[in-house]
Amino acid sequence: MQRRTFLKGFGAAVAVSAVVPSVVLADDKKPTSPNAMSYTTAVAAITGGKSVTVSSKVALKAPEIAENGAVVPVKVTVESPMTDKDYVKAIHILAKKNFNARCANVFLTPANGKAVFGTRIKLGGTQDVVALVELSDGSFISASQNVKVTIGGCG
Amino acid sequence: MGKRKSLIKIKPKKYKTGDIVKVDFMVMHPMETGMRKDKKTGKYTPAEYITEVKFFFNDVLLTKMIIWEALSTNPLFTINFKVTGPGKLKVVFKDNKGEVTEKSKKIKPKG
Repeated sequence: MQRRTFLKGFGAAVAVSAVVPSVVLADDKKPTSPNAMSYTTAVAAITGGKSVTVSSKVALKAPEIAENGAVVPVKVTVESPMTDKDYVKAIHILAKKNFNARCANVFLTPANGKAVFGTRIKLGGTQDVVALVELSDGSFISASQNVKVTIGGCG
Repeated sequence: MGKRKSLIKIKPKKYKTGDIVKVDFMVMHPMETGMRKDKKTGKYTPAEYITEVKFFFNDVLLTKMIIWEALSTNPLFTINFKVTGPGKLKVVFKDNKGEVTEKSKKIKPKG
């Protein structure tokens, strides 16, 4: 970077930071979400106190480094025969540090044929994404992956 | 009835009875968390997000999803589905303002 362009950019940044605080003060208070829930309470609410084991049956596919936290593709595949007796009841996707840790609760049926769920989520910062899977016998298995976020998606 | 734009895609395009196909469901929806500031006005934009998505095949519930604010703008939902015969795949979704939208696609297995 040339010295001239650097100084230009720096000057602009200072000007912006000087203007912003007055805008913030004039604004109303930051709203709180009615759905705000921490990760531990969300897990407790889903499992009802049951133990969760980390299993290789759950494959969580998410990027290790997400450039944009507003669009993070996540795909969960669970090894299961998906018959009437043995199937995946639910897939829960949780993000540990989001103000509402819950992202999606998906309730599957044997008619799905294969336990797959894919979506795109927003992440506020670098954190673990957890897939919590409930099987038809009532047990819980999970998998998690750390996603590094360079630009947050909330805010 | 809402007028949200949505799209159901089935992959692969040609399938038979008994095949497991991938269903992609896309909705044009802002998915506002209510925590984001509008840069022009400096005020917080009100929350607007989808809360529930239900997939039906021939009016039998296939998959139910409870969705929170954390999904991206214009969300995409991918599920798998076993084709048991010809019929109609229907998706019903609801947002936090109570707006309900329906979208359906005909399932025509070949062979």
